[in-house]
Amino acid sequence: MSGGIARGRLAEERKAWRKNHPHGFVAKPETGPDGSVNLMVWHCTIPGKSGTDWEGGFYPLTLHFSEDYPSKPPKCKFPQGFFHPNVYPSGTVCLSILNEDSGWRPAITVKQILVGIQDLLDQPNPADPAQTDGYQLYMQEPVEYKRRVRQQAKQYPPLV
Amino acid sequence: MEECAEEFEPLFDYSRVQPLDVVCLDDDGSDSSPVLSPKRKKISDSEVEREEKEEKNGKVIQVVDCEGDDEEDWLPPPPKVSSDSQRLSEDSTIKELRLKKQELVSFAQSAGEVLRAVEESVKREFNASMQSSLDSVAEQPSKPSCERPKIIISIQDKDGLKQFRVYMDDKFERLFKMYAEKVKLDLQSLVFCFDGDKISPTATPDGLGMEDDDIIEVHVKSR
Repeated sequence: MSGGIARGRLAEERKAWRKNHPHGFVAKPETGPDGSVNLMVWHCTIPGKSGTDWEGGFYPLTLHFSEDYPSKPPKCKFPQGFFHPNVYPSGTVCLSILNEDSGWRPAITVKQILVGIQDLLDQPNPADPAQTDGYQLYMQEPVEYKRRVRQQAKQYPPLV
Repeated sequence: MEECAEEFEPLFDYSRVQPLDVVCLDDDGSDSSPVLSPKRKKISDSEVEREEKEEKNGKVIQVVDCEGDDEEDWLPPPPKVSSDSQRLSEDSTIKELRLKKQELVSFAQSAGEVLRAVEESVKREFNASMQSSLDSVAEQPSKPSCERPKIIISIQDKDGLKQFRVYMDDKFERLFKMYAEKVKLDLQSLVFCFDGDKISPTATPDGLGMEDDDIIEVHVKSR
């Protein structure tokens, strides 16, 4: 029965998103080859904030919702091996508002999640590292870290 | 003389009531016509009322004298007399009802007019707002056809939203051109996206399954 709640909420989220969302962001439920829509998986794009090293990159993110959503947060994944101190090697984002036992609240919207992750890109949380590569460079070699971030931005050019 | 008046009163009152009934019939007939002037009727009614009261008091005995009425036209209406006889109070009740009816009729008419006026002003406003947002598309909005449904699409750039009204089956190239002219940018430097996908100029809102208030994002190419 909770699946009904999850889908209902996700349909509302999608409706709201279509009418209003921040510029450069994309968030749409997965569409099967037969045109069927799967509301439980969303394909999103987060633009790097202008004025930061992340600018110019359009980073793909996938949201996996469970039947327990919105009691439980969605799992948010960048592509495997994404370079960021707070992203696990699997691509899963580590962020307090996405943690069921920490900052997640059922009222948090998809928009807030995506904007929150955009903020995290340029403001990593050194207290909560999720990968060695990104974390160590961030802490010890700021110049190299910067170079890697810029390099990665080029890997995710605008879709056009 | 006084006695005479008393005796004739019933007869007189009766004849008085009849023309009023005729007026009432007129009312019924003119329900649908807009040339009703309740104000005038009111005056004449209050005149009648006054006359009757005067007659009641036995001051005026003349029955068919209209000149007297004319002379008194400018006089303010007499104060209400509470000590009327039964019959008179009946009459005034009927009169009240009649007045109410007239009021209602005129109210209904004015309500209808107000509605019409509102409708028209809304239409006008709507057209005006369309013109302001559509500018160059003004060729068509004046002739809305049911067979070509329209849709409101927002085009979003970094600074905000602009809304456009387009046909569901109209190719996007027209909207894009319009937008480019409006923001004074070269159309070639603009990229339009819906849900992260580039929109082909030959696509239509219908073809992309777009709904009212959907957002198209515009990106300016760096080169």
